[in-house]
Amino acid sequence: MTEVKPEETFYAEKLKRAAHMLFFKRGKVPGARSWELRSGLGKGYKEVLSQLDEFLKDLDLEVKKVEVDALSDVGIRVDQDEDYRYFVRLKGTLTPKEARMTGWRIDNLAALAACLSVIVSKQGKCERKELEDLIGHKAGRWRSLTLMDTFLRTGYLEEDDEGLLKLGWRTKAEMDLQSLMLLVAESKPQSVATEPEAIDEDQASI
Amino acid sequence: MSSRGRTGLKRDLEDIIQTCNSIQSRQFNPFLLDVGEALEILRRHRDQLSSLQEHLLDMRAITGIARVVGLQSARLRFQSSSLFVDPGVVRDKIGGLSRQQLAEFLLLSWHPIVELEQLTPAAYTEASDYWNRLLSFFERRQRLQLGPLVAPEGASLAELSHAGLIEEKAFAQRLQEVWDELHRKSESFGFADYWGFVQGRSFPETVSKAQVVSFLISYGYADLEEKSSKLVLVPKKEPQSMAGSSLSYPIPIPREVRVG
Repeated sequence: MTEVKPEETFYAEKLKRAAHMLFFKRGKVPGARSWELRSGLGKGYKEVLSQLDEFLKDLDLEVKKVEVDALSDVGIRVDQDEDYRYFVRLKGTLTPKEARMTGWRIDNLAALAACLSVIVSKQGKCERKELEDLIGHKAGRWRSLTLMDTFLRTGYLEEDDEGLLKLGWRTKAEMDLQSLMLLVAESKPQSVATEPEAIDEDQASI
Repeated sequence: MSSRGRTGLKRDLEDIIQTCNSIQSRQFNPFLLDVGEALEILRRHRDQLSSLQEHLLDMRAITGIARVVGLQSARLRFQSSSLFVDPGVVRDKIGGLSRQQLAEFLLLSWHPIVELEQLTPAAYTEASDYWNRLLSFFERRQRLQLGPLVAPEGASLAELSHAGLIEEKAFAQRLQEVWDELHRKSESFGFADYWGFVQGRSFPETVSKAQVVSFLISYGYADLEEKSSKLVLVPKKEPQSMAGSSLSYPIPIPREVRVG
């Protein structure tokens, strides 16, 4: 007869609960704050999350911790030392074909890469007009306007009190900015003359 | 102090404030401002400040300089980090990269969040109530008095376009055309009467044009103003995306325009 191990069962329950809290979106921003996890999983929530991270590795997923301050999240800070939001995100990266399946057009991806690189190079803030001109050069003037609205709506960019654009909560949670900047800095430009004409369709697909 | 000296004081302070504001809005490098020189100017004028306005200008200049010093410090910290690449270099690189290359760079640095929408008890109750109250398809159809049920048929793109269900032209192209038309019609007075401009040969055409005009205004390509209690459209030479108001201004289409 196999012995019942109550501790393991207890732990498995917490793992399930942690997965539910991180996967299912409850508010505008996905994931869960550290105080939510502490009240849902107990003081040992970090070990539970670390165990969940181990399980998720096989699925090419990971638990990502981001400081709430960095996310510009609004809300009451419960613990000054430990206020984080935890997300489950893809550990690896998507292929262009997979990205298309998520509804992202190549124009959108390219425009987002350009916006993020410029904002990072300008220490995290940039004028909207400058970004619109930059995107408009490649994607067309009208499309640049809709793309900027899309990036703001989806949380990749945010507008501050002075009307300047900065990196949004989603960028901080999803993007490896060091890798992006390295790739841009080390890139060798292709001949842009061979590039097809800018698409002027106005249907943003995200 | 003479009026010339007072004007010079005001101009110096305003120059410093303007430079600081431009630096704060990321138009210039924070090190463009020589902080020592700026403080020296303030020190030179210190004893000449007399009115409240001059004291306020002096205060704004000091605050501006303090913020620029903060930005200089942040820039130094940023330059020593691994994320630092000169903005000019980044712009040049992006200009030379194809859309394909840029998209690939993003994909290599992108780890999308996994998020699932879930059904909450409140949403379930609402959905369940809606479903229980919902009449059957045939009962609803009967209420609309649509006549006998016709089997679905295919339609060509031309037919759909004729029925007004799809646009013949891409939306961006339509915006451009309407903007050009607005420029042409505003040549004589610098503006065009709103109703005269949006009114089409039919009601759907009027609605369609009013919608395009609303996009032109939202995107800063034209202004909607009131002149002699009439709504007028003022086209801009260059779009001013930040100038537009985020307020929504509904314009009902009056009967005479619908009929006309």
